[in-house]
Amino acid sequence: MIMSNFIFGRYLPGNSWIHKMSPQAKLLISFFFVLVIFLANNLISYAMLIVLILATIVLSGISISFFIKGIRPLLWLIIFTVLLQILFSSGGTPIFKWGIFSITDQSLINGGYIFIRFLLIIMMSTVLMLTTSPLALADGIQTLLKPLKRLHFPVDTLALMLSIALRFVPTLMDETQTIMNAQRARGVDFGSGSIKHRIKVAVPLLIPLFTGAITHAENLSTAMEARGFTDSEHRSKYRIYKWQKRDTISFLVYILVAVLVILVRK
Amino acid sequence: MDNTIKIDHLSHLYDDGSNNPVYALKDVTLTIKDNSYVSIIGHTGSGKSTLVQHINALLKPTTGELSVGDFKIEPKTSNKNLKKFRQHVGMVFQFPEKQLFEETVIKDIMFGPLNYGKSESVAEQLALEAMDLVGLDSKLAEKSPFDLSGGQKRRVAMAGVLAMQPEILILDEPTAGLDPKSHREIMDLIYRMHIDRQMTIILVTHQMDDVVQYSDQVVVMDHGEVVKVGNSTEIFNDPQWLIQHQLALPSNAEFAYRLSQAGYQVPGNLDNIWQLAKAIIEVGEVDHE
Repeated sequence: MIMSNFIFGRYLPGNSWIHKMSPQAKLLISFFFVLVIFLANNLISYAMLIVLILATIVLSGISISFFIKGIRPLLWLIIFTVLLQILFSSGGTPIFKWGIFSITDQSLINGGYIFIRFLLIIMMSTVLMLTTSPLALADGIQTLLKPLKRLHFPVDTLALMLSIALRFVPTLMDETQTIMNAQRARGVDFGSGSIKHRIKVAVPLLIPLFTGAITHAENLSTAMEARGFTDSEHRSKYRIYKWQKRDTISFLVYILVAVLVILVRK
Repeated sequence: MDNTIKIDHLSHLYDDGSNNPVYALKDVTLTIKDNSYVSIIGHTGSGKSTLVQHINALLKPTTGELSVGDFKIEPKTSNKNLKKFRQHVGMVFQFPEKQLFEETVIKDIMFGPLNYGKSESVAEQLALEAMDLVGLDSKLAEKSPFDLSGGQKRRVAMAGVLAMQPEILILDEPTAGLDPKSHREIMDLIYRMHIDRQMTIILVTHQMDDVVQYSDQVVVMDHGEVVKVGNSTEIFNDPQWLIQHQLALPSNAEFAYRLSQAGYQVPGNLDNIWQLAKAIIEVGEVDHE
């Protein structure tokens, strides 16, 4: 099935160290990791980050095939960016030149680094998505955004919107599959033919999907109001994610690697 | 053309990449005769929908094969040949009104025929015929399908499938959520298509009364396997077995079963209410003597 290629919103329940971490810690570490990726600029620093992410993946107890699948939908984006980098970056000794294109040893190395950066970021966000349930994720974001409350930023409302949006990702994906099947049964050929054809066949898919989404939203708001929902402050929570010792330990490991990266970078 | 459906040791594996792939269908072998009316029953998640999606080539088997007339689908069949296959097999999904998308009712119904290469005028003719078949007033043709009532939307969606003139019609709970009157009308329509146009009907349903009333053959599924095949009398004469497989009894059989639990054995074939009434009278007479 087409939909199973998307990693987004596909939480895999588990009992690993990573699963048990609090969502706000996982979010913070992910952001931190992305920052550190941009500090790395030579082979050893990238190697250390690769080891770190592999260790994280092993610790999450999720099979590596899932991560490879997560890359597949983004493959063309990665290839395109890497090619741009290789063909248009300047500096270094030219190996090959044709018109405005030139390939130098430096551009090849840069292309390789960009590729690794993409890979690392995708791996990290995949770990985050697969080990954290959408609701926990929304909760984590809410916790991290709490300081903004002082500026009268509607953090709670935003978190609610976010958790509803995340909650409906799998529902809408199922719906997409159903509608695709129904239109295929009526003779639509998805995923083949010219670009013009592909745009044309998106219409019988997108219109039912949108009307379905609007119906869902209407029903949900009715159900919420029927159960007395008001957008008030001081909403209590069923699950409370506290910062734990394992969060601190994990963060320290990441900081340690970050320090090492800073030390070994050129 | 002969449209016998032969399913041979077909299995389907839902592999979501996790460590526990699930067999949605396990070693299903089944023959559905041309021009028959088959009901597929089984509790939720028993593999009914997965099975019928194979018959329409929306899914390909993981192992085994399936053939409809001369068309054959194996795990390695290329996707290019599937469209031709689908033309002969119409499929009405659960809540088919979800598939409506065009500006007008008539355009939506014409969508299928046009996709299968019919000309604009032929498609329109087919669409108008289909509207008449499902009992939609031709005045609705230029209306937006989104302005119609739930029951009318369902009919538009069914007309969209019938306009393709399939030889085999698959219906996945076609009357779910409809009022009793619409339910009866739609079931009558399906039966008329079966009798007048010699369509093979494959009905996935939880309505056991419909199963008894219409079908020549009943297929019971459980955990992705076909556990019993027979006519409705053979299927429904063992209440205990049905309850074990989480299936309901048709009203007549339910009534007879309750009577038997109260100490009155009502024997025989209970396909319709007249047979039941007769059987009860006979039991009463025996009691009197």
